[in-house]
Amino acid sequence: MKRGIRAAFPIFSMVVSGAALLLAGSVMAQPGPQDKPAPAQKLTGKSIQVERAQASEDLVIPEDFRVATYENLIRQIEKTGKFEHVYRSGDKRAAGQSDLVILKLVPSAYTAGSQKQREVTTIKGATSIKFTVQFTDRSGKVLLEKEVEGKVRFFGENLNATSDFAKKVGKVVNESF
Amino acid sequence: MNSGEWQSIPEPTNHRTRRTFRKSGMAIFAVAFGLSAASVCSGQTKPTDATSSVPDVKCVIGLKDVKPNQTGTITVSGTRVGFVTGKQKGDIDAHQITDIFLGNESRQDISGLGGTAVKAAIPYGGGRILSLFSHKVEVMTVTWEDDNGAFHGAIFVLPEGHATALKAQLVGIGAHVNAHVEPPAPKEEKQ
Repeated sequence: MKRGIRAAFPIFSMVVSGAALLLAGSVMAQPGPQDKPAPAQKLTGKSIQVERAQASEDLVIPEDFRVATYENLIRQIEKTGKFEHVYRSGDKRAAGQSDLVILKLVPSAYTAGSQKQREVTTIKGATSIKFTVQFTDRSGKVLLEKEVEGKVRFFGENLNATSDFAKKVGKVVNESF
Repeated sequence: MNSGEWQSIPEPTNHRTRRTFRKSGMAIFAVAFGLSAASVCSGQTKPTDATSSVPDVKCVIGLKDVKPNQTGTITVSGTRVGFVTGKQKGDIDAHQITDIFLGNESRQDISGLGGTAVKAAIPYGGGRILSLFSHKVEVMTVTWEDDNGAFHGAIFVLPEGHATALKAQLVGIGAHVNAHVEPPAPKEEKQ
């Protein structure tokens, strides 16, 4: 019996020491606070003006989609609370603002999709809308540019793609300002 | 009776009344023509006092004090177009409207969160059959500029057969519209 215990002890000690080594290695491999990537410098702006999506000859987007995208975007940006004023396109009051960020939308893709097709087949009929979102200053210098896509994949009306897009832009605003 | 003598034959009464009717009819026509000509020449669209409304309209988005996707009644009164649902209401001055776009779509008969749950609860994919049932609707997109020149847009989903008349009514009370080609409806939406 004593022999058995004696024989098992070196094996047990090897297992324990191996586990301790693994634990120490994993702890050391974890990035410490100094290894974290430095957060990108946040943009600043007192107020923002949201411009309408630019019209494109190659890409025809129905007007209800364009308007829904714009209105949802205004709602989401107001919801972030990052700006004192959210000005709409053409608002004369924005001209007097000193620290103004301008948000421009350049359409890059649009798939009409179909609610019926989505709900019947599950895999077909997705609606999507994609824009290049540009944040510029008054002089036109691009401060931030990102491609954002809004989608309805399974359930819901086609126009819900615009609210999905706006939510994603709201997230970009929250992260960048 | 002398053959060379003319005798005045008394006119029958019904002939006289016919002539009187003809004269009065012409007079009425002349007055009506004059009035219509005057209204055409004036070239102004006067605000009508008549109020017309379309129920079961869904305001998808765009009115300031109305939450998205609310169903209510759209009313044209004077020079304003309003939307009312419960306590929420919003309106647009027709003179500020810069354009109106119309489109056709189809909507699922059984939709929304409850509808989706019902569809999912039917075994053997039976819910998919329910998804085949849909009805046509008309989508009216209205764009306008407020007093500061800021762009606004609102989307209304109307029961089929109301959008064209509503657009004409809005144009009648001062809304501005541009000529534009509507993009073709997606193939799968056509029935």
